Amino acid sequence: MKYRALFLLSLRSVGRNMRRSALTAAAMALGLAVLIFSRALADGGHEQWIDSAVRLGTGHVAIQAPDYLETGRLEHRLDAQQVARVTRALADPALSDRIRTWAPRLTVTGLASSASSALPVRIEGVDPARERVFSTLPGQLTEGRYLEPGDRLRAFIGSDMAKRLSLKVGDRFVLTAQTASGDVEGQLMRVAGIFHTGIPETDDGLVHVPIETVRKWLGTPGAATSIAVLLHSSWQTDDVVKVLRSELDGSRGIRVMGWRQASPELDSGVRIDNWGDYVFHIILFAIIALAILNAIMMSVLGRQREFGILQALGLTRVETGWVVMGEGLFLTAVSGLVGMVIGLVVTWGFFRHGIDFSSASSSGWSASGGIINPVIVPIFRFSQIVLSVASIVVIGTLASLYPAVRASKLDVAEAMKFEQ
Amino acid sequence: MSRGNGVWWRVAWRNLWRNRGRTLVTASALAFGYLAAVVVSGLDDGMGAELIDNGTHLLSGEIQVHAANYLPDRKVNHTIGGDDGVDVSALLRRIDEDPDVTAAAPRVYGGGLVSAGDRTEASLLLGIDPVREPRVTTLLSDMDGGRIPRSAHEVAIGSEMARQLHVTLGDTLVLVAPAADGLLGNDLYRLVGIFHTGTPEVDGSYTILPLADLQSLLDMSPDRIHEIALDVARPSATDAVVARLESTLPTDGGPQVDVRSWRRLRPELAQSVDLMSSMNFLIILIIFGMAVFGVANTMIIGTFERRKEFAVVRALGTTAMGVGRTVVYEGILLGILALAAGALITWPVMVWWHNAPPDLSGFVGGISWAGSRWRPILRVEYSTEIPIYSALALFVTSVVAAVYPAWRATRIPPADALGDR
Amino acid sequence: MNLESITRSPARASRAALIATWCLCALCLTAAPGRAQSAKEIVDRVDRLLRGSSSKGKVQMRIITEHWSRTLDMDVWSLGTDYSLVRVTAPPKEAGMATLKAGQEVWNYLPRVDRTIKVPPSLMMGSWMGSHFTNDDLVKESRMIDDYDITVAFDGERDGVPVWEFNMTPKPEAAVVWGRVVEQVRKADDMPTWVRYYDEDGTLVRTMTFSDYKRMGGRLVPSRMVVVPADKPDESTALIYKQLEFDIPMSKSFFSLRNLRSGG
Repeated sequence: MKYRALFLLSLRSVGRNMRRSALTAAAMALGLAVLIFSRALADGGHEQWIDSAVRLGTGHVAIQAPDYLETGRLEHRLDAQQVARVTRALADPALSDRIRTWAPRLTVTGLASSASSALPVRIEGVDPARERVFSTLPGQLTEGRYLEPGDRLRAFIGSDMAKRLSLKVGDRFVLTAQTASGDVEGQLMRVAGIFHTGIPETDDGLVHVPIETVRKWLGTPGAATSIAVLLHSSWQTDDVVKVLRSELDGSRGIRVMGWRQASPELDSGVRIDNWGDYVFHIILFAIIALAILNAIMMSVLGRQREFGILQALGLTRVETGWVVMGEGLFLTAVSGLVGMVIGLVVTWGFFRHGIDFSSASSSGWSASGGIINPVIVPIFRFSQIVLSVASIVVIGTLASLYPAVRASKLDVAEAMKFEQ
Repeated sequence: MSRGNGVWWRVAWRNLWRNRGRTLVTASALAFGYLAAVVVSGLDDGMGAELIDNGTHLLSGEIQVHAANYLPDRKVNHTIGGDDGVDVSALLRRIDEDPDVTAAAPRVYGGGLVSAGDRTEASLLLGIDPVREPRVTTLLSDMDGGRIPRSAHEVAIGSEMARQLHVTLGDTLVLVAPAADGLLGNDLYRLVGIFHTGTPEVDGSYTILPLADLQSLLDMSPDRIHEIALDVARPSATDAVVARLESTLPTDGGPQVDVRSWRRLRPELAQSVDLMSSMNFLIILIIFGMAVFGVANTMIIGTFERRKEFAVVRALGTTAMGVGRTVVYEGILLGILALAAGALITWPVMVWWHNAPPDLSGFVGGISWAGSRWRPILRVEYSTEIPIYSALALFVTSVVAAVYPAWRATRIPPADALGDR
Repeated sequence: MNLESITRSPARASRAALIATWCLCALCLTAAPGRAQSAKEIVDRVDRLLRGSSSKGKVQMRIITEHWSRTLDMDVWSLGTDYSLVRVTAPPKEAGMATLKAGQEVWNYLPRVDRTIKVPPSLMMGSWMGSHFTNDDLVKESRMIDDYDITVAFDGERDGVPVWEFNMTPKPEAAVVWGRVVEQVRKADDMPTWVRYYDEDGTLVRTMTFSDYKRMGGRLVPSRMVVVPADKPDESTALIYKQLEFDIPMSKSFFSLRNLRSGG
């Protein structure tokens, strides 16, 4: 009963000076909203970057023969049996809600020759239907079309390769590579489509051809050098790696790797960004905390007399402290709720389709063909929202503590004596 | 008038010290807001620089100079200055003179075979200047064993290549490469170093030897080089350096040179950097906005709390203009003081963070750093504009934020304000 | 950094043996009697005659490129299409360099460092020593009639000489880069005079010209053969046979690493 009365007193003092309360609450609510938005954006940007990179590479999770990453040789491949095993493991219901898609690839280095010239290339045997979902290359098409299921002697080549070999859509060229048995064999191909990524090594050195054609040509039925797995989100990588490793436990010759292991440079880049994000958000949080703290401090400074009156009316020192504390907690709770709603609604309402950063680039995405999608879609993570809300609540509570303590230690006579 | 003004300034000054608590709170909002704005934008530059370093310092350097016809075919004969070559040391001297270039390293490339015993691997042969190269790239900074090849007939290979060839330090390697004269250059070399970069493509394919050695293997005169890789002090200076080199590197009537920055050499890196930095910019705006909001909010609350004081002053006969002027002067004085304090705390933080960046690997939890080449040591970069703009913006905020409530206060009849209505 | 765009050239290192094989084959044309044959039969007969015999000879190769010119003297031996050995005899700087092809394996001997090096199969591509012969000329072991549909494009007199011109278009899935190959053969002695290589758009890419028909090792052969790329008419590679013997007794054991090193 006593606490109820104290709480009512708190509420009344919130209402008594609406303007001050609103300004203080605004600091908290806005701070939280901004924190939520900014975290969602940073996570979204991060995810976009990783996603773009792994789709161009070997996925969030790469499944290969143990030495393939280091040697890149056809002899270090997964045979038909191993591929079947991996396929079964990937079908595990425990993984199905995390895997967006997966794609087998049979990659060898070889020579592409046309009537006019020859060029060393990386020949990637792909499953056209799966790769269309997986890879970003089909989206970089400039001429012709991407590979389609049923294609046999069609190839998807880069713009620089097309230029250096004088190839147009429909033209013939020959791929030559060492087969599994060690012979050097040629394979006729025709250009189905041409892509342009802006990355020199990719534009003049990568060819997509149907995996069945490569398997037959190299004498490696059912084989793959790599099975690339694309997840819904990069945070699931470690979990999926763990599940797959235990699933494939005991299968010698199968190595499961996360993207951090498979592409160290991307890993470093993402870490730099990650680290910066942490620091940015710590600073942002500090600024928000300071704004909240200042708002509350400022209001306390002008309320000595008010606290004095509370005690003069018969409240004990501790009770006075509780009233002031209650006021702070109430404001924190309300603004926490409002801030969360504003943060979520604004982020989702205005930016769910993403924020287009393409104009911000000095190199120009449109000009170079772009590998990284410049439209960042904010991502809400439950843990991040909880963390943001908790931070604000903690700051609000701590900030309310000071005026409460101060109010409880007040010398009534002194406070009432003079109008501050 | 000036005398009258002086009075108001004095009153404003005294007001500031009359309520030290309030002044301190407001000033801290300004000072820390300033600190945050400057540090955050410095950090953004630092991240960009680190990302560019991360992508270029292993091998490519930030700028490369080639003969105009060298890329993309990389023919052995397409050297800088054409078949006659150039005076390499004079060229390097001219590049070194550029104030923004920290280091430049000449290179020769050749495609060839490396053989030991009955094992042979295809390799990219890279001829380097053993003194200059380590200033530009980190390729040879992580040695699994041995040292950088310095004198004649010494080579270094990557750890993966050493594994494939089954060789150890001190073993003899045969290098074979088609030379500029169309013949097959071949010679014996001693393995003096094994490097490990962690990037399989590099560790498995590069063979590094002194420039002069590779030139003689490829039957090229000492005046012929394929590439000069540069390191630039600040990434922001890259474009300016490219422009300067393009205009000041005539090759004495020979073929044109082609100067490319990492933006053209590594467009995917450029996109990553641009994307990161534009996102950072948004976050910086948010942080800055939050700082401005914090300052404004604090000022507004503080000024509202002083309505009674204003009313008393009005009641004592001061004009509304007089009150407003005092408040503005207070804001100006406070702004100057606070920003001076802000600069005082910001400066040492920036200097410290730039020169001795903290290793935050323990602090940034939740991320495992094992196996990564990058350590979380990130420095801030200095800027001249950001501190000035931040100061101006915060200063204006503090003044404007004080004026509004003060103006409101002067509208209210003193009796109402005193009666707390 | 694109490794491969640089390592492309080393492939040139190793084609000597294949070139020799091919050269010899191309020269092994014998006078063929019989007139009432289809184009396919004539080309196939010529094609088959290129194979299966053993040979030994001395060849000079003259290469002219934009950047350098060179003349190499070589001794060549071959047995069928699987075995061949080429040794450079002059100029002195290059003398002793040798290439052995045995089945799918190619080895180089480098006298300067006294080593034999097995060339990785993935690099056995491109031209040799900067000459204008391509991979397609050299690796090829299948017969023309396997890869091409052959028709007579012309049957009559050119400059007063009766000739055939055969038009060869690749079969739908044949692994050849050419859009069309045209070969002119003299009717009188079945000697080829030129071969022209076109891309699919019908643009001439390369011309090979035969001349200086001589009787060598008991056969009539064109002792001089010149390849000129159409886009660089100032460049060329010429092969000139100085001496040639056919069907000499030779066994596979001749094509050994020991012989590669010691000079056969």
